[in-house]
Amino acid sequence: MTVARNNKFILFTLVLLFPILCGMHLFAGEITVSFSDFWNSVLNYNDENTSQTIIREFRIPRLTMGILAGGGLSIAGLFMQTMFNNPLAGPYILGINSGSSLFVAFSVMTGIPFLTSNLGTISSALIGAFIFGLIILSFSYLVKSHISLLLIGIMLGSFTSAIVSILQTMSEPNQLKLFTMWTMGSLQQVEYTELPMIILFFIVGIGLSLFMIKPLNALVIGESQALTLGIHVKYVRLALISITAILTGIITAYCGPIAFVGLAVPNIVKMIFKTQSHLTLLIGCFLIGSFFMLTCDIIIQVLESTIHIPINALTSIIGAPFVIVIVLKRLA
Amino acid sequence: MIELNGIEIGYKKRLFSIEDIQLSKGKVYSLIGSNGAGKTTFLKTLQGNITPLNGQILINKTEVQLFDRLKLSQTISFVNSKFDGVDYLRVYDYVGLGRTPYTNALGRLSEKDQKIVENALTELNIKHLSCYFTTKLSDGERQLAAIARAISQETDIIILDEPTAFLDYANRKLVMREMKKIASELQKCIIISSHDLDLCLESETDILVINKELKTLQHFISNTLSKEKLIEIGF
Repeated sequence: MTVARNNKFILFTLVLLFPILCGMHLFAGEITVSFSDFWNSVLNYNDENTSQTIIREFRIPRLTMGILAGGGLSIAGLFMQTMFNNPLAGPYILGINSGSSLFVAFSVMTGIPFLTSNLGTISSALIGAFIFGLIILSFSYLVKSHISLLLIGIMLGSFTSAIVSILQTMSEPNQLKLFTMWTMGSLQQVEYTELPMIILFFIVGIGLSLFMIKPLNALVIGESQALTLGIHVKYVRLALISITAILTGIITAYCGPIAFVGLAVPNIVKMIFKTQSHLTLLIGCFLIGSFFMLTCDIIIQVLESTIHIPINALTSIIGAPFVIVIVLKRLA
Repeated sequence: MIELNGIEIGYKKRLFSIEDIQLSKGKVYSLIGSNGAGKTTFLKTLQGNITPLNGQILINKTEVQLFDRLKLSQTISFVNSKFDGVDYLRVYDYVGLGRTPYTNALGRLSEKDQKIVENALTELNIKHLSCYFTTKLSDGERQLAAIARAISQETDIIILDEPTAFLDYANRKLVMREMKKIASELQKCIIISSHDLDLCLESETDILVINKELKTLQHFISNTLSKEKLIEIGF
């Protein structure tokens, strides 16, 4: 499958708009900063200049996490939807986030220094996402209906949140605060110096995704047909779960659980591009996912002086009604 | 093309055995048998998904069990009894998926691949549907698209599992006519499982029937079997 001409045009337009939206996001906050502050904060940083500090310590990490979280979760959602042939699948609804939450809760609340460190939290989130991905994958072999798999995912979510609340009652006030803040979701938890590692993880995840395009295209017509087309479906599924775990895990570790992006964006992308070519869908998901996330975060920044909205709340407010629309349109 | 030597078909328990049979290129074989006789198991065995309990299946002189998945996909293509269509999947892209065993790691269709896809569409007279979404086709058109996909896979063998089960009379005739044409024009070995005795006999295909009493698969050349006899053997 190739990228159709008008889809190339849409992608091109999105790429052109991308830096504009990034700029709007960078300069949307309450404190006004200039463009030269931005360059200086990156190229010759002076930590006595407040504007530069704001950009380097707050704005750039927040922008980067917005792009990666939106793009990454959308790609993870696309993978889940194609893999399970289910337009309502996504990392959040299938409980893959909750795997991360559970493991992060455990590691934060143990109080063991390594586990409460950043690297410890990321590792826990990745492992949790991967294990819960495997759980959902094994359930997918047992249940036939699409809805059943979603229900199992939601139950995994309820189950883990119950365990997490029990953990919370047993924990120290400090840890409790740390974890509660985390569950509300935020793009603001990352430090500038951590960005290279996070970006590296993403490059690996998205680089591996490129090799999934061909199997994903074949999986569109079902697992048994993909097999007769020479696709090693078992390995492909494991690879897809691993990439999803990397993308979802790292976002969940730093931003907390973010709902509905992974579910809603791939559906929007398919409606816009009207194709099943996963090369187009992959690029589309990254771009539109980032757009969605940055737009949400700009809204949050603009309203920040009046009301503080956690990112997870805003994505749910927009995403949940959208999911109902999809259900009415496609599954009713 | 396909040689079956002393095969016993079964999955966990033995279903039937096969007298030595050779299936050749350029022919259509209708596989007939009652429910539960083992048609599906037989087709799966041919595709190397199930190991025969005994004997060996040779495809072009090589045992099918020794084929890896890629080689299999370049040798045997498979058409389901029903393809429901997929949202936003266009006929052209669907038929293009038949090229999956030949494309590079990114799955991009080369010019040669595109040519093959277009030929497959032309062969089945559905080129005008290229840009339609697979969900917007009639059942008959969708089945033709599925067959075009199998043709673009350029395999010597095409297996169809009850391809006419969900079609009306005219489309059933059309599918069988197309399969006969493809078999002789493109020199393919085509095996079709079916419950439609009249259709298979009318279409003058060879008949493979699972004998209910003897538990064997028997081969009859076209026009050598009456409907009464066929019912007597198979049901």
